[in-house]
Formats: sequence, C-alpha cells, structure tokens
Amino acid sequence: MKTHSVCFPILATLALSVAVTRANVNNNTPRGVSPSNAKLYVPDSGSNWSCLDGSKTIPFSAVNDDYCDCVDGSDEPGTSACGTGRFYCANIGHTPSSIKTSRVNDGVCDEECCDGSDEYDGQTHCPNVCDEVGAKAREENDRIQSIQNEGARLRRGFIKYGKANKVSLTNELETLKGQVDKIQETLSDARAKLDVANEAQDAYLEGSKNEREAARKQQLEPIIQEQTKRLKYATEVRDMLRLTLQNLKEKHNKNYHDLAVKGTVSGFDEYIVAQGEKTETAQEDSDISSDRQFDALVDETSVVLRDIGTLHDLLDGMKRDYNTEYNDEAVLVAVKVTEDFEVTWDSSRLDFVDVEHLVLPEELAIDNPEAEKFKDETDLAQETFNDASEKQSKVQEGIRDIERKLNMDFGPDETFAQLVDNCFDFKDTEYTYSICLFGDANQSSHSSTHLGNFSGWEGDNYDIQMYTGGAKCWNGPERSVKLVMSCGTKTEIVSVAEPEKCEYLFKLQTPAVCPVPQDEAEDEGDAEEQEQQSVEGVQQEGEEHIQKHDEL
Amino acid sequence: MKSAQGRIKPSKRKTIIRSVLALGLALASVSAVKREDFKTCSQSGFCARNRAYADIAKENPQWASPFQLNPSSLRLNKGVLTGDLINVQEDKQPSDKPALAFELHLLDTDAARVRINERSPIHTRYDGVQDTVLVKPYGHATEGSYQKLGKDENGVLSIQYGAQSQNTVRISSAPFKIEFLVNGVPTVLLNDEGLLRFERLRNKEESKVEEEGEKQEDEASSDPLVEQKAGGNDIEIAIEKSEQEKKLEENLWEERFKEFTDSKPRGPESFGMDITFSGINHVYGIPEHATSLSLKATRGPDAPYTEPYRLYNLDVFEYEGDNPMALYGSVPFMLGHSKNSTAAVFWMNAAETWIDVEKSPEDKNGGILSWIKSKKAVHPTATKTHWISEAGVLDVFVFLGPTHRDIFRQYASLVGTTALPQAFSIAYHQCRWNYNNQNDVAEVDAGFDEHDIPYDVLWLDIEHTNGKRYFTWDEAKFPNPTEMQESLSSKGRKMVTIIDPHIKKDGDYHVSKEGAELDVYIKNKDGSSDFDGWCWPGSSQWIDFYNPKARDWWASQFSYDKYIGSTKSLFTWNDMNEPSVFSGPEITIPKDVIHYGNVEHRNVHNLYGTMFHSATAQGLAHRDETNQRPFVLSRAFFAGTQRFGAIWTGDNVASWEHLELASPILLTIGLSGIPFSGADVGGFFGNPDAELLTRWYQAGIYYPFFRAHAHLDSKRREPWLFGEPYTTQIREAIRTRYTLLPFWYTLFQEASVDGTPIIRPMFTEFPEDEAVFGMDDQYMVGDAILVKPVVKSAVVRSNVYFAGNEKWFDIKDYSVEQGPGFKDIDSPADKIPVYQRAGTIVPKRERPRRSSKAMENDPFTLVIALDSKGEASGRLYLDDGESFNYEKGDYILREFKVSKGVLSSRKVDEVASGKNSFAEKAGGLRIERLVILGATAPLKKVAVGDHTLEVNCSQFGGSYVCTVKEPQVTVGKDFDLSFA
Repeated sequence: MKTHSVCFPILATLALSVAVTRANVNNNTPRGVSPSNAKLYVPDSGSNWSCLDGSKTIPFSAVNDDYCDCVDGSDEPGTSACGTGRFYCANIGHTPSSIKTSRVNDGVCDEECCDGSDEYDGQTHCPNVCDEVGAKAREENDRIQSIQNEGARLRRGFIKYGKANKVSLTNELETLKGQVDKIQETLSDARAKLDVANEAQDAYLEGSKNEREAARKQQLEPIIQEQTKRLKYATEVRDMLRLTLQNLKEKHNKNYHDLAVKGTVSGFDEYIVAQGEKTETAQEDSDISSDRQFDALVDETSVVLRDIGTLHDLLDGMKRDYNTEYNDEAVLVAVKVTEDFEVTWDSSRLDFVDVEHLVLPEELAIDNPEAEKFKDETDLAQETFNDASEKQSKVQEGIRDIERKLNMDFGPDETFAQLVDNCFDFKDTEYTYSICLFGDANQSSHSSTHLGNFSGWEGDNYDIQMYTGGAKCWNGPERSVKLVMSCGTKTEIVSVAEPEKCEYLFKLQTPAVCPVPQDEAEDEGDAEEQEQQSVEGVQQEGEEHIQKHDEL
Repeated sequence: MKSAQGRIKPSKRKTIIRSVLALGLALASVSAVKREDFKTCSQSGFCARNRAYADIAKENPQWASPFQLNPSSLRLNKGVLTGDLINVQEDKQPSDKPALAFELHLLDTDAARVRINERSPIHTRYDGVQDTVLVKPYGHATEGSYQKLGKDENGVLSIQYGAQSQNTVRISSAPFKIEFLVNGVPTVLLNDEGLLRFERLRNKEESKVEEEGEKQEDEASSDPLVEQKAGGNDIEIAIEKSEQEKKLEENLWEERFKEFTDSKPRGPESFGMDITFSGINHVYGIPEHATSLSLKATRGPDAPYTEPYRLYNLDVFEYEGDNPMALYGSVPFMLGHSKNSTAAVFWMNAAETWIDVEKSPEDKNGGILSWIKSKKAVHPTATKTHWISEAGVLDVFVFLGPTHRDIFRQYASLVGTTALPQAFSIAYHQCRWNYNNQNDVAEVDAGFDEHDIPYDVLWLDIEHTNGKRYFTWDEAKFPNPTEMQESLSSKGRKMVTIIDPHIKKDGDYHVSKEGAELDVYIKNKDGSSDFDGWCWPGSSQWIDFYNPKARDWWASQFSYDKYIGSTKSLFTWNDMNEPSVFSGPEITIPKDVIHYGNVEHRNVHNLYGTMFHSATAQGLAHRDETNQRPFVLSRAFFAGTQRFGAIWTGDNVASWEHLELASPILLTIGLSGIPFSGADVGGFFGNPDAELLTRWYQAGIYYPFFRAHAHLDSKRREPWLFGEPYTTQIREAIRTRYTLLPFWYTLFQEASVDGTPIIRPMFTEFPEDEAVFGMDDQYMVGDAILVKPVVKSAVVRSNVYFAGNEKWFDIKDYSVEQGPGFKDIDSPADKIPVYQRAGTIVPKRERPRRSSKAMENDPFTLVIALDSKGEASGRLYLDDGESFNYEKGDYILREFKVSKGVLSSRKVDEVASGKNSFAEKAGGLRIERLVILGATAPLKKVAVGDHTLEVNCSQFGGSYVCTVKEPQVTVGKDFDLSFA
C-alpha cells in the first residue's frame, strides 16, 4: 500500500523532481532536506539557525552535525541523530520520496530510496536502482492504468444499470402499491363471506357440541396417553444426553487439545445458548380441547426429538473423530453413552415414527345432508378467501423486495445495484468460501458454516463491507467477514484469510470500485452514446462471471 | 493410599444414565488448572513415605537419627573425608548390610560437597547427573588449605577450610549430623532434625517376605500373647505400628495414579534429608513454582501451603498462582539469606524431588543471633527444609559465601554460567501461535515499520510445519521460507521456528525414518521396543538425548542441507520438552521407560529437556563454519540450562495475576543460575485488554528475555492493534528497551563470567536491609536500575521502596527521590516507576532504530548518576554480537568511573596478546553524549585534555541535570574527562 505512492509516479511530478533535484545539488541545502523545505534551512546573518519549532537557536554548523540539538529533531534532517524527521531521497529516474531519519545509515537499503542516498556512511553500499525501479514502476503504472480504464468503463455500465434499475423499481413499486387497495377490498369481501358461512355452520353445530366433544375426547384419550408416555421417555433420553455433554464439557482433559472433543463441546455451548433463547411456553391448560392437547404433545415431542438428534449429532461427531489414544475418561464415558444410546434408540425410535406413528384421526363423520351443505358453503368461502389472501401476500412480498432493494445503500451512484445477490466462490486447500453480496457468507467443506450476514459498509468509501453474526466459535466470537474491495475488470474473490480465529478477510476485485474520472461521471450527456455500446458489453460480461444465487 | 481414582466402565445404559447423573450433579466450578491431573505428595509413594518419617520424627521429642558414622572408618585425604554410615535401627548387626558410603569433599572454590551412596547395591544406583550437569571436574581444596581441628569432647570432628579459613565443618558421628559454620557461626546444618532416610535397593521377593511378615505381625500384635514372641530386647516391633509407621512401607513397588501404572521394577530407592538454614528466616530458589520469591512454609503451624514444593518438569495448562505445584523446569538450588549471613545448597538430583519448608521461630543452634545475642534481644529463627528424591545418590553442595555474589560464583563454577547470547536475542521478539503464512509474516513485519516500532525476531509456532513434522514447512502456507527469512534479514531481523522433541511416527518423514534406523528413540520399560505416545502430531516417538549418537545425529539435522528452507538467520525454539506426552501420566512420559545405557527415566526426568536444549544448541553452533552463537529457547530447564540458551515461563494467562506472578518467578529462576528468562508478554491464554497489554509491555521490557506471544484462539494483539494512546505507549516501552540494550548486553557479559543474576531481587543489592528480604514486586536490573511494574488495573500511583541512603533518578524525566523509605510515585498509563541508582553509570544508545542490528554503528550516551560523594561507576561490554570470536579476545570491555571530578574510561581484562579485530573495527564508535545527574551545582566547565566541551545544565529539585554534547571520546580508547 505504502509502496504504491512510490511505484506509480505521475509523469509531471517526475519531470519536476529532476529539475528540483538539480537545484538541490547546486545550492547548499543540507543533506536530506527536500527542495520545498530548502528555504527553511538558511543561516541567519550571524551564521545561526533556529530549530523549526523555534525552541532553540544553534550555530548553522550544528545542522547535520550528527548530534540532536533540537527537541523537534529538525536540526538533523540528514542523519539519524534525532531520528524523528524525514530524509529526502531525490530518486532521479524514479519519483522523489522521503524516509524516517531513523532509517538513515542503519545498514538497510530502503526501497523508498532507490538512489541509495540513505546509506552514505560507507558501512553499507546501496546501489542506485532508480532507473530500473522507475521503469518497472512506469510499466506497472501503465498496467494499472489500463485496468483502471477498463474498470471505469465497466463501472459506468454498473452505474447506468443502477440508475435505470432504481427508476424501474420505483415504477414497479408504484404499480404494485396501486393494486394494494383493490386487493385489500377483495380480501375483505372474501373474509366477510367466510365469516358469514362459518357463523352459520357454527350455529348449526352448536346444537350438537357437547355430544361431539365427548365423543372426540373418548376417541383421542388413548392416543394422548400414548403420546404423553413417549414424550416422557424422549425427555429422559434428551436429558441424559445433555448431562453426558455437560459432563464432557466440564471434565474432559483440555491438555489433549483434541479437536473432535473441542468441536463437540463448542457445539453443545451453542445448543445451550440457543436453548436459552427459546422461551418455555408449555403450559398445562385443562380447558383446552382434546385436539389441541394432542397437537401440543406432538409439537413438544418433535422439539425433544430434534434436540435428541442435535445432541446425538454432536456426540456422534466426536465418537467418529476423537483420539482413541488419549484415554480421557470423560470422553470415554461420553462415547460409551453414545454407543449404548445408538443401540437402544434405533429400536425405540420406531415407536415414535415408523411403526405406529401417531396421527390425529379424522373426527367421526356425521352423516347428514344439512351438515354437508354447511360444510360445502364454508369450504367454498374459505377457498375464495385463500385465493385473495395469497394474491395479497404476493403483492406485499413484491413491495417488500423492491423496498429492500431501494433501501439498500448501493453507493452514491447506485454502482452496486448490479451486484446485489450475486454470489462468488473462492476455493483454498481446505474450504470453499462463498459470499452473496448484500446477503450472507459461508464456509464449506463437508458441511457448511455460516460466516455472517451483510450488516453494512465500513467507512465512507464504499469499498469495505461487513458481514456479521455468523456461527459462534468455540471459545471465541461469532464469525464475521470483512470484505475489502479493490479495482479489477472482473468481479471475483482473490483471497480469503483468517488473520485471527473466526474473523475472515475476503478480498474482492470488482469494477464497482474503479475510479471514474470526475468530469466523465458528471457529464453523462456527452458520454451517452459511447456508454450505450459499452453497457451491453458490461452486462454480457457481468452475466458471464457473476454466478447467480440460484445456481449455488 | 488411594492413588487411582475409580474409572467408570458402565456396561448398561441405565448404569450410564445413573453415573452421568451423578457426575452431572457433582459438577462444581472448575478451576483453570486441572489439579487432579497432577500428583500430590500423598499420591507419590516415596514422598508420602519420607514425609511420614518426618512426621514420626517431629512428633517424638526424643527423636534421634538412627544414622551413625563409624568413627574408626573416617579418612581425610586430599580434601576428601570418607567413612561408613550405619543405620543402627535397620542394621541390627553391623555386618547385616553393607554400610552406606559417606563422602565430604572440600572444593577449591570454598564450596563443600556431601555424598551418601550405597556400597555395592544389587543394582547400580544412578550417579550420572554430575556427568551432564557439572561443567568440568572441579578441584579439591589442596592439602594445607584446610586444617583438621581434631575431635572435641563429644567426638565431633572439625575441619577448618576456605580461602580465609572462614569456614568450619563439624561432623558428629552419633547421631550423624554435619554443621557448616561461617566465622564460628552455625549456618547450614545437615540431618540436624534427623530426617535422613535412605531406601536401599532390594529384591521384590525378599521385600515381599518382609512385608508379609510385617503384616502378620500387624495382625498378630492385637494378641498380647504374641508380644512375647518378639522378645524383650526389641520393643519397637511389638508395639502396634502407628498409622505413620505403616505409611513408611506403602507403595514400595508397583504404583498407580489415575489410569496409569508405574511398574517400578527396581522398587523403592528414595532418600531424604533435612537441611537447616540456621539463623536465617528467608529462603529462595528451587524454581519453577508460581509462588513468591521468599518461599512460604509448607509445614508447621500456620504454614500457608500444605503440599511440599515439587520439582518434576511438567506441562501444566493454565497454571495457578500461589501454589507449590511443579511446573516446566527444576533447579534444586536454594539460597538462604539473613542480615548477617547468606548460604546456599545445590541438591544435585534430576529425579522427582519434593521439598518441605518450615519456618522455625526457635533456633536451637542460635545461628548468628546466638553469637550476637548479648547485644540484641532478638528471637533466633531458622528455616528447616526437608529434601526428598525418588532415586539416585544423595549428593549435595553447600556454599557458604560469605556474600551472595560469592555464592553465585561458586555455584556457577560448578554448573556453568549463562552463554553469552546473540545480541539480537535480548531485543524484542514477536510471536504468535500462529503467523499463518508468508503473507501474514510480511504484513506483520511491515506493520512494525509502518508504526515505527522496533523488533528483531519473528516466530513461527507449530502450524508452520507440514503436519507437525519438525524441520519441514507447510508448503501451501510457506512456499518459499528462504526468501521469507532473507526478506527479514535484509532489515537486520531474524526468524525462529519451533522444533519439539516428539517425532511423528511416519515412515515417509525423513527424521522419523532416520531416527528408527539409527535406533535413537526412548524405549518402553522392556527395553526393546520404542516408546510410543501422543503429542501434537498424533502418534510420536521421543528422541533419547542420553544416547550420544542421538545427540550428534540430532545436531546434524540443523545443517542447511538437512533442514531445507533454513538460513543463517533462522534460530530455534524447543517446546514440550518436559517432555509433554498427552497420553502419559501427568501429561509426561512414564517413569519406567528406558534410556541409553539401561537408565530408567525416573532417574533423569528433570534433565531430559536440558539434554534436548543442549543438542539443539550444538546443532545451531555447528551448522556452518562461521563460528556463530546459537539461540535456542526452551520451556523445560534444569541446573545448567543457562549454558545452552534462554527459557520462558510457559503457558501463562492474560490476567493481571499472571503479570504480577512473572516478577517473582523470573527473579527466582535468575538467582538459581538461569538469568536469561522471560514470561510471555500479554499472557499466552486469553485476551488482554489494552491496559493490561500496555502494562505488560512496560514490565516486559525489563525481562531478560522479552517476547510477546499469544494462543491460537486469542485475538490478534500486535503492538499497534489497540490504537492510540496504546500504540504510542507500547512503542515508547519497546524503544526504551532498545535504548538500554548496551546496558543489558553488558549485564549478560557479567553474568557469563561470574554467574551474577541479571534481574536481581532487592535483597541481593541491599543485603542488610531487612525491609527488602521478602520484596518481589520491585527489583533491580543489574546494580543500577530499579523497576516496579504496575500489576493492577487503574493504578496510577505506586508505592515504591527506595533502598539505601542515596538518591534515585527517574530514567525518563530525571526527577529525584531520596532513600531510604517507601514513597507513593505517579505511575500514569504511559509509565511505570523506573529509577537509576546514584553511583551508577548506564550506557545507552538513544537513536530509535527498527532493529538492534540497525543500531550497531550508533554512538553511545552515558547516563552518570552521581552519589553523595560525587562518584559513580559502570561498565560497557561490546563485541560483534553474534560469533564466538570474543573468546579470542575480540571485544571491548570498559570501566567508567567518576571520582574527584574526573570521568575516566579504562580497558578491563581485555586479552592483551594478539590482535583485537573487533576493537579495531568498533573502537572508533563515539560517545556522543554524557548526561550527568545529581550534581550539586551546575557544571561550569567540562574538558577533555585542553578541549572545552559544550555543557548545558538545568536545575531539577535539589540537584542539576547536565548534558555534555560530543565529548570527543570513543569506546575504544582510554580517556579522562574533567568537570568542574
């Protein structure tokens, strides 16, 4: 980053530097002082000189005498005596630069001083490589320039798309919003009709309510009993697995650093955290109907079964990969529990699902043409209502989607609209990383780990995005991704690193951040025709390299 | 004893559920360290037996040691007294068992050595520690330098010895006891408490018969009739054995701990003895323990600890403070100090060793205090210690000083002084588990330059290897290690990679394969198959560094053609060398595995890490022909480690407690002969906040070994990552270390010559000031710099003790404090109290540079702190900083002195003959500045010869700070500079 300023000179500056360097050589400017500062290093009439901070006056001969006189270090621009100033390197053939005076005569040929002028004490010889370095830099500059030109061309396409897209989305939104009232009206009508039908049916049914409910209760009682038993059993098993994991967590030998064990313990921690977030609502209510009672039991059982599955997966993962040589007692206990569990569970699980999976039976039909009529009418009203409701949610969803896009910060010129929901992959030796811009980021090998959701831009430059709130790490934070963008002619991830555990750094090249010259950007009218052609190119190219989310 | 805890082996689900439920209910808060992974004394058979013996002795006011010297067997010849030692309780007839051999050696260094061994045991007792620990065969005191004073009326034999005949050793035959006296004052007493116990080797069959016989007696003893059987002449046997007496015979053979069994094929062979420091209330040393500098009592009423201090090198995860548990290293060296005397002992044994410490308010011998009791009414005190080792030979050295400096020299003459380190290695080291790849390394390196923070060494932990195969690289992450090192080297920087002693079992791994072919691995207890255990790489083997062939082969692995991708700027880190074995008892290797020469590991455990360290250092020194000094950091250590490199205090924690702990631990290790040590700055485990990290840097710059390190799971914490003001504060701290490098290097040279510690407890610099004897929250660097780290959050005032009657000068702003006494000193976030002592001269290099190498040609500043007499002195040592050429005299050593208004510089001790090519090259380096502190009036004229120099003075409190610009002198030539 730092070297960029050195390596890519602007030709005008270069020409200037040649001129001033000559001046530097010609007059008596002290060593290490840049031409622009030369006027500061002139003795007064008494051959004295004042430190630049005015703190002290010293003989001019004490400037660059390799002893630090001034508190601000300004008397030693050409030696390391103070070490706090800047040493100017003319770098003829390249671009002028400066280094900290602490790096003068330190035995290191500083890259910034390609002319070798920083090492003049005879201890270290630094050859002048400015011609070579300069040529390379110019070449590199040209290369960068061409990328930037092409990138800017592509970006103009992005901008055009973004702006056009915004207009069309706005229009679409208006259209949809225009439909809302009418759809709402239809829906209200349907609901009113449905209510009338329901009321009529209810009134008809009210007469036989007690009889039917008693029959229903009798019908469901054995099933409820059975389901209660199953729930109790499942809960016991779940609690046993929880205790096993809790014990593993507390008692396992951390000295072994067994990754399989660590993984299971961290998974258990995540489970516990998730568990805490769920609020316990299971309340016994004796008044509720047998149907609802049964439904509640089934729901609860399925929650417990899911827990058992989760806990077993954790234990099983460890069982498959743990290091058998460690003989860690806590691990051995957990493995044994898992094995025993698997044997017994495989057979007992049948009770829950396969053989006689309990389902809510149909209410015993009441054979009665009048009842049939009420039911038909209700069903019809229900269908009409459902259609209207579906239509409404479709429109609402469309509005939400457009509003989401319209509310997204695609940059001041809408550049990033082109990239929203585009996904990119990067493979390294172990993992495949993927990121959907403004969406989410994931890491996958045999299984997938969530690294975070788009949470915003960092800074004001529209070149760094943050994705946060990913899966929690063992003994660490929630995973997150910092996506850093640089100019390129193609949108692609060029590197993924994990500088510290669970905090990922993705580097993305994209035309979207290539600098667009100011005058062009503002003066769109003139460029209109030219752009018209390039936009097609951009979109084609865009489709070539942008992998749509669906394809993942 | 129940050493093995029941393992749960449930076979039915219900059982499991029940056991798990039980475990679940029993869950309590778990401390960081898993204490139950490590033995207590009662879980270690020999410790329990010897401690029980001590209990018996201490409970019996009539107790007398059953050991007696046979007076007629004593012979004194060429400084060595020999004789027969008999246990009158065991050896009913003198002919029953051969007597133990007793030896007392008087050394030419004024030290003494006492040895007790079995004569012709059924197996040879291991006596090889001396071959690896002692630097060379020492000389005995010559005939005439000691004098036999004959026996007194009690048959006590006295010998006077020492350069000034200041020492006397008194040998009592019955009961056996040895007293060492300095100028007639009893100081160190052996077996004064009668705790000497010596388990002779025996056959298991014979032992079984004995035990069974005893059991029968135990059972029978309730029957009064049987008492008759024992006969009237031996009452002891007839009396029912007490609980304590039973303990004396427990766990003699096979012993269990958790799921591990120690087969102990040779049975019991431990021994123990008490050593009393008479008239001395403070004892120090026996690292490594996370405890205070002045050792706390482990026995007696009000003892803070109940367990003895344990010496058994172990890999302890997240160790706790204030605990006598064993840690990574061991040095069985203990020093006792009082206002009037200083003495030390070195218990030369590398087997598991436990040490009890008891503070006795009553000293029956009186020590120095009985000697002066007529003058002062003080209660005499003593510190009684009890040393217990599992195997080997009782072999103890006694050092009587008379000063602690003499003791350090005497001890160092036996076990060696610190190797003069590579100059870069005393600068700043940047480490992390792990720097992920070459790009990461380049970015961290650039980060230091960008933030203008100096550093010298970048470290790579285990992840840099190909699957934890040491001497290899993960090629995906480090495709071009040579280029990477050269890039660092171009800025004068170095790299360190980790090399551990466990070798992954893998036929395709060249080191593993060669090791197998050469047959250099530690063997299982049967002695034939190779031991196989688990560590980072999984199934691994451990090199047997007791095998000379293994050491040479290991050393050869460091040549550039074997260690592919290594360059001359690459150095080494030896970790896990206790050795750490994940699958072993107490996370280490079983005691019954076999080393070269059929030596059981139990005999040499505490030395294993040092043998590895030594072979690695040998490898680095000989990897090319350029005569370069090695640099190797080790975690395990033993007496003598100082000869091979640096050590650090292992896996500490990012907590204020661990920052506080670092000072006493490092001071203790330093006074035990290993000055080159440090604690990981920032704390290894966990995440320090910015304040803790900054405070740790401010303290860490005063550790002899200065490295920041962090665990894999911790957040990044390179010095600039916390932003301002922290980056500036940390930069300032690290730069301060760099300005003081000439002073540090000079201290290392001093330590390499006479064994003096580099960071020093207050009591060694102020040996007569009782206020500092227990002080370990502030300390001295050399004799000149006082450091008081801030070890608590939000502390901005520190209570500093200014010892002595002289002034102290703040090293940053030169403000003055007058000793003696405590004073509250400002310690705002950007500084901790650091003071230069009046009477000292500190050489510095003040130019900020990016590495120590870049400072090589920089001029010097001398900071001269005048004392009340207007005097000061100090030294400067310089050499090429990297080769062994100093051994040929290629160095500069100057003594600076101010006396009577003249600052003089004189050559010290330089090898006169031959050409000093270093002095020729570097002798012209200037002293660019003198800073004179403590002048009572502004200096008017400073002159060297006829040349008057520019001097600027400003008043500061009651004294003046004067700066002399360009005194026109160099470090290569003598000079005299006058000021008035």
